[in-house]
Amino acid sequence: MKQLKLFLKKLFKRHYLDKKSVTLNHKRIYILPTQRGLNFALLVALLLVISFVYNNNLAYLLSFLLASVFFITILHTFKSLAGLIISVSKAHSAYVSEDVVVDIYLDNPSILERFNLTLNLNNTKTIDLPATQKRLVTLNSPTLKRGWHYCEPITLACQYPFGLFKAWSVLHFEVKALVYPKPSTENNPFPELAGEQAQQGNITKGHSDFYGLRDYQEGDSIRDIHWKSMAKGQGLHSKDYRGDLLTELWLDYSQTFGYDSEQRLSQLCRWLIDADNSGLQYGFILVGLTLQPSSGSCHFKKCLTALALF
Amino acid sequence: MVLKNNQRTLVFLLSSIGLITFPHFWHIPLSIITFFYALLLWRFIGIWKSHWLPHKIIVLLIMLGGIALLLNHFRSFLGRDAGTSLFVIALALKLLEIKKDRDLYLICYLAFIVASSQFLFGQSMLMALYILLVCCALFTSLIIINSQQSKPVVAIKKSATILAQALPMTLVLFFLFPRIQTPDWVFLNDTNTNAITGLSDTLDPGSITSLALSPELAFRVKFENNNIPPPRQRYWRGPVYSYTDGKRWTESQQYINPSYMDTPKYKGKAYKYTLLLEPQIKNWIYTLDMPAQFSSGLYKNPRHQLLTQKQSNNRREYQLVSYPHYNTGYITKAEFRENTQLPYPASQKIITFIKQLKGFNSSPEDFIKTLLDYFRTEDFYYTLKPPLMKQKPIETFLFENRRGFCSHYATTFVYLMRVAHIPARVIGGYQGGEFNSIGKFLEVRQADAHAWAEVWLENKGWTRVDPTAAVAPERIERGVDINKQIAQGLVNFMSINNSNAYSWFKKSHQLLQSLDYNWQRWVIHYDTGNQANFLSSLGIKNLKIMLYWMMGLIGFITLCLTIYLFKNNDTSIDKASFYYQKFCKKLAKVGLQRQPNEGANDFYTRISQRFPTQKHQFKVITALYNQQRYGKQPTKKVLQQLQKTVNQFKIKVNIK
Repeated sequence: MKQLKLFLKKLFKRHYLDKKSVTLNHKRIYILPTQRGLNFALLVALLLVISFVYNNNLAYLLSFLLASVFFITILHTFKSLAGLIISVSKAHSAYVSEDVVVDIYLDNPSILERFNLTLNLNNTKTIDLPATQKRLVTLNSPTLKRGWHYCEPITLACQYPFGLFKAWSVLHFEVKALVYPKPSTENNPFPELAGEQAQQGNITKGHSDFYGLRDYQEGDSIRDIHWKSMAKGQGLHSKDYRGDLLTELWLDYSQTFGYDSEQRLSQLCRWLIDADNSGLQYGFILVGLTLQPSSGSCHFKKCLTALALF
Repeated sequence: MVLKNNQRTLVFLLSSIGLITFPHFWHIPLSIITFFYALLLWRFIGIWKSHWLPHKIIVLLIMLGGIALLLNHFRSFLGRDAGTSLFVIALALKLLEIKKDRDLYLICYLAFIVASSQFLFGQSMLMALYILLVCCALFTSLIIINSQQSKPVVAIKKSATILAQALPMTLVLFFLFPRIQTPDWVFLNDTNTNAITGLSDTLDPGSITSLALSPELAFRVKFENNNIPPPRQRYWRGPVYSYTDGKRWTESQQYINPSYMDTPKYKGKAYKYTLLLEPQIKNWIYTLDMPAQFSSGLYKNPRHQLLTQKQSNNRREYQLVSYPHYNTGYITKAEFRENTQLPYPASQKIITFIKQLKGFNSSPEDFIKTLLDYFRTEDFYYTLKPPLMKQKPIETFLFENRRGFCSHYATTFVYLMRVAHIPARVIGGYQGGEFNSIGKFLEVRQADAHAWAEVWLENKGWTRVDPTAAVAPERIERGVDINKQIAQGLVNFMSINNSNAYSWFKKSHQLLQSLDYNWQRWVIHYDTGNQANFLSSLGIKNLKIMLYWMMGLIGFITLCLTIYLFKNNDTSIDKASFYYQKFCKKLAKVGLQRQPNEGANDFYTRISQRFPTQKHQFKVITALYNQQRYGKQPTKKVLQQLQKTVNQFKIKVNIK
């Protein structure tokens, strides 16, 4: 069975990728009877035998009716998928061993209501889609490694109306997401600062004293936005702090410890998250890359990306 | 585990299963039906009170109980009744054990088998309609299993649509799928309670009277080219009663060697017809007097009666050719002996009577004429309620009562002939029949049962003589008015003018009968022989061409259905998307791609920032698209406008 599955996978494997949005048509939809469908065929055969033995024409008629329904179900099952537009919107970044969340839009442009659409990646989601509606479906893809993560093909399947046939389509979207190193679970203190005797917990925050308001710049932390002025309709402003910069926090790869680079990256990642959570200003040093101290989500993302692609 | 959110599915499935089994009330033992409905009820209650459902061990006990019940009634699992009961019990037991969707499917499949088994007991049009409806319910259950969210009305509509779409293909398969004659396997021969009694093998004066009040159908006849014999020739010849014990008349058990007999010569017009005979207890076939050619599986006995080789419990169809004018030729000694047999010497009274009519001196033809004239002129009455004549029935009838039914006249006539040394016998059968002007066929009912005489005459052979015609010529010319006769219990003939008060009733009755006849002919009775006949009349001569036709027609139907199904899908809403996509493609060329998660309005904001000069055009297209796709009523006009604007739309890149 497993071998058969592998063989089928190979058979249906495509050597090119789909565009961002795919309309399902006869080229994309496969149909095969399900186990229940095969049992139904057996049922029809049994009814035919009964009709034959008793030479009963109405029993024949019933068998033929069921056989015809079985046959026509192929068309209806196909129709339950045909015309759907499936598009991949975004794959959200994740840390290693977390799942990458993929946003998928299912669009039903027809006036036909669709039932029991099953989307499958690592998890399976089943939705009904009313006529002319678009729905967001999130699927998960598990991660093992740091770096670019390419998702497996997505399968959209449907057994409506009778469950006798299964129509499905395999979608080879190019879905990639950055996977950051897994943050270390060890709670190591921030690296000691060169020349200073700063201890864990003794680091003064870079912005303890409120200095004034300035125009919002991309990369400013959401925390620092002055919401009151925003509510007054004066536009976005950030609160500016000018504390005494007692210390400059530098998160440096060379200061991490561990058996191998992955463990060290993992440590660095932990520090990054901690620093971002506590709203510190931090500089970032990786081999061949130095980012000047700053804060905010943009800076944070930049650092994580560097970690992921290291 | 009990399935959640599945109550609706179960309610639907269980109700349709209850409906499917319902007609078996009349077919299988009451205890088994009670067993089934008890378990069904239990399961129904279990939908809401799942802790009431039986434990595994109890299910096992119930199963043993079911098997015991089955063995007690049938002692086997084979045969129609036992097999049906087996499936009904299996279905009931499976109901108690619903755990997964798979079990629901198994129940559905078992229910289809039970539905099919209904047809083994009766094949009426109503039953077929009923089963069709119930199948629709079963398919609806399957849909509900597969789409928990859908409303039952939507599911019913869907399954009805699919069934309707399956009908043309079903018909093609039905008429073209090769039929193979079933071997008559002994173990499957259940007794059929549907067979009608009809004429019995002894004719006593009362036997036909009981039939005269029965509206039951005996057989139906369709004549080729609507070539229908006139009423006075509509004699449907059946059993030949040639032995008498003085009171009763029975079929003779004597052997007559057919090789000594003369071959009959047929003259005049031939009537070709198809006889659709209701199930009979006897293997007699009723044929228009006198049958000359007949379909295989039939044989003619030396008394010119047609019989089936095997007794059949089913309604059967036969192709026959009869000639009303014939000459059976000479009479063999054995025949002569058989047809002049008398139980005891005739009484003096009878002999005197025959002498009065010059029976012993004149030619047989003259004697017959005198006797019939005697019946006609003397005060003989034709009645359904003759007084009882227990002793010496013939003399009592002839000299005292003079009231009788056709059997009295026929037996008396034959008796008198035999006393006068003329070979004669009583023939049982039917006379007349009502013509169904809608279906163009003749309908013969039990009330048309009749008895008449056959006399052997020199140079003419066996000749039909009907003494009833002398007493009540209307009986022969017009036939029996069955409805009135039954209502009043008296002899009633068809009135001459047809425009009587209940003619509309008659019309609708005829319409129903005609429907039923065609149903019997084309559906119930469509077998190997019929298939060959029907198909060769269409020019399909052999199996290979038949299969080609079947494949071709199925392919054609599939094609039509595909076009129908997928054309339907192409709605104007869809087209709105199509034009909007076209618009987006034009924008994509200058690098403005609409993101999958971007709504039409957001996209509009974005593009108008980029190309502010064309803002108005964007606005119109977006509004039209939104109106068509999300508005309450998409109209053709809006669509055309959208198409026009999109086609005219061009990006003015140079403005940048």
